[in-house]
Amino acid sequence: MKKALLPLLMAVLFYSDSVFMIFFSEQAFDGDYIPAPRFFIIGLLFMSVFFDRNTAIKYGFFFGFLFDMFYTGLLGAYFFFLPLIVYITSMLTKWLHSTLPVFFVIVLFDIALLELVMYGLNVLVQRTTFSFEQFTYMRLLATLVLNGLFYILLAIPLRGAFLKLKKVFD
Amino acid sequence: MPHFLTNKRLIILLGSIILLVAMIGFSMRDRENITWPEKFVKDVTGFGQNILSKPAGAVESFFDNVGRLRHTYEENEKLRTHLEELAQLESDVARLEKDNAELRKVLEKEESLADYEPVQATVIARNPDRWYELITIDQGESNGIEPDMAVMTASGLVGKVQSTSKFTSTVQLLSAHDSNNRVSALVQGDKTVYGLIEGYDEEKQMLRLTKIPSDSKVKKGQAVTTSGLGGVFPKGLVIGEVSELVPDEFGLTQTALVKPAASFYDLEHVMVSKREMTKVLPEEEDRQQVVVEEEGM
Repeated sequence: MKKALLPLLMAVLFYSDSVFMIFFSEQAFDGDYIPAPRFFIIGLLFMSVFFDRNTAIKYGFFFGFLFDMFYTGLLGAYFFFLPLIVYITSMLTKWLHSTLPVFFVIVLFDIALLELVMYGLNVLVQRTTFSFEQFTYMRLLATLVLNGLFYILLAIPLRGAFLKLKKVFD
Repeated sequence: MPHFLTNKRLIILLGSIILLVAMIGFSMRDRENITWPEKFVKDVTGFGQNILSKPAGAVESFFDNVGRLRHTYEENEKLRTHLEELAQLESDVARLEKDNAELRKVLEKEESLADYEPVQATVIARNPDRWYELITIDQGESNGIEPDMAVMTASGLVGKVQSTSKFTSTVQLLSAHDSNNRVSALVQGDKTVYGLIEGYDEEKQMLRLTKIPSDSKVKKGQAVTTSGLGGVFPKGLVIGEVSELVPDEFGLTQTALVKPAASFYDLEHVMVSKREMTKVLPEEEDRQQVVVEEEGM
């Protein structure tokens, strides 16, 4: 029964991005900055490090697929890159000790990487007219700040949750 | 880096890249509506989204209301002055509507491009990755919504339905960057001027009204509405007002920057307009031809 908590937690994190967008006014900062919530991805990275990498890759595939269909309509983007990011993270944490401050840097690196990839993809399919400078100043920095704050607030509870879930599954 | 790219991993990586390109190609195609597996996924995901966003929306509007309470007095004063004008306006509208109906009967022209039936909808999600200006609403095919219908708020047009599933629809906002996103519009004045709403100026936050004949005189402040000539949108939906005129690259036409009447931000409730007069979209095969011809030009 307690095993159902894992998909439930991931589903809540998945929806939390768009629920955040309901509360967050898009006209904040006069539209000069466009921070994008990436809470689900942070949760997924915690899962890959503190729970199990392969399960995290599977969740990445599944929720990436949902994300593509439900929100963006551009099939394949998150479906492919979420698992890849999980894989890169697991490679990085093999070399670096995954204490919370070190992991903070890794998470921000991953989010920046994902933003860059998504920007590249959107330029490729001509869905954006942002120049690279605009992208860096308006999106990338704001996104990193927002998700950094989220990490600082929720890193300890998230780590605790996944460690507990790991005990349940073992 | 030992064992970083073994053969097996390389094959998986290459295979997924091919799959990625194929899937993106598939979703970028000019298609009328999404396939049924996508519809199914959308309905299931939309169900969960509904459960979470409806309470969140309620909480948000509660705080909004609390914030608004502070300005109640000033608002009340303002509204009271409007109310007096409103009574007069209402009787005028009723009289004109009756006149219009009678005259139409005389002309034996009962249908009009302006007729539409609004469907109320609530916004349940906004694309959280914020690359595309897409919102999801809680009404779908079961309420008669079809792709390409106009979506508006009380103050004006905001976008069009991009795809539908049984219980949800995805709406593309006018501010989205998409070359297929065109709306036939007209500028109201002594002489009606037609143009196309095409593209959005991110910096000035204004819509671009293109293809205005160079000899027509468009003035700042004139109202822009849909013309109903595009074949899908009803006539007379407010889009905004002209705020600036710029000559085109070749000087053959003019482009006007239009300040949108409706805000594209913080949308909560929208209306989808079902046009009552028959649509004039050609059959699918003919339409393909039209697209090819347009591209060839």
